[in-house]
Amino acid sequence: MSDGSRNEPAMDAERFAALAAAYGGDLRRWPQADRRAGAMFAASEMGAVILGHAGKLDALLDSYAVKAPGAALHGSILRTAERHLVKRRRQLVWWLGLGLAGIGLAGAVAGLALVTIVTPEVPSDHYVLDANATAFGDAGPDGETVGEDL
Amino acid sequence: MSADPDEELVRRVGTGEPEAVRLLVARKLPRILSLAVRMLGDAAEAEDVAQETFMRIWRHASGWRRGNARFDSWIHRVTLNLCYDRLRRRREWVTDAVPDIVDPAPLPDAREEPHRVEQALQAIAPRQREAIILVYYQEMSNIEAAATLEISVDALESLLSRGRRALHTILARDGAHD
Repeated sequence: MSDGSRNEPAMDAERFAALAAAYGGDLRRWPQADRRAGAMFAASEMGAVILGHAGKLDALLDSYAVKAPGAALHGSILRTAERHLVKRRRQLVWWLGLGLAGIGLAGAVAGLALVTIVTPEVPSDHYVLDANATAFGDAGPDGETVGEDL
Repeated sequence: MSADPDEELVRRVGTGEPEAVRLLVARKLPRILSLAVRMLGDAAEAEDVAQETFMRIWRHASGWRRGNARFDSWIHRVTLNLCYDRLRRRREWVTDAVPDIVDPAPLPDAREEPHRVEQALQAIAPRQREAIILVYYQEMSNIEAAATLEISVDALESLLSRGRRALHTILARDGAHD
């Protein structure tokens, strides 16, 4: 029960009475470190009187028992727990799905970026056809003019 | 700090293990309920508090990490806070003005007095009541009780002494009147 207190080698009547007033007449409720010295003092006539006085209130406190939890309360708490756990599992699945979707999307974006960056720029092997272009060169009005000048 | 006997069980509850949930309810429900009944003096309200306490346990179990307090101390603190919320709503605050002087009148017979003890507990200051409940009925050590109440061991002893004196006075007075 109690597991710590002061390290007093011996106990006087005043301290014994103070502990009995606080923790009652049962030394098992006293702080661990005071029990041995308390038991020694309890063997004295004064110690017995002090413990007897405290023990009367202990007996009254003992008489006040609380009923154990009923099956209805027990069952209700378990049902609430089950509902909570099911909800939590659903949330986990949802988050897992969202996470996987996110990873997939991130992968797609990263792949696209990689292709864009790594792929070398190939010179274009096509040209734009315009109205003046022929297989023999530019057949536009400017081309003819140049030929006449020569 | 010594090992927490509930730590592994709470971890299993946090992972959603149904058997761990059942075990935790079986282990803690009687303690939580008896604490709430004695704090509130009302069985129905105490059951509501027990349900709310477990809701908080389910919510926090997966993220619960031991800090300065054991799990048992934490659930006691949660239960006490919920009890205080209800006491505040009831406006049943009792001041420390309950008599501190020991009444020399004899105490009544314990076999006839459970109801009177219940009433006397409700009549003393809530802080004294919770100190007595934690140490006497919940069988906490002085260190655990002080940690749960977030006070020093000396302050706990003071609350216990004053609470027991007040109980003695009330019970002796009521017994003498019968």
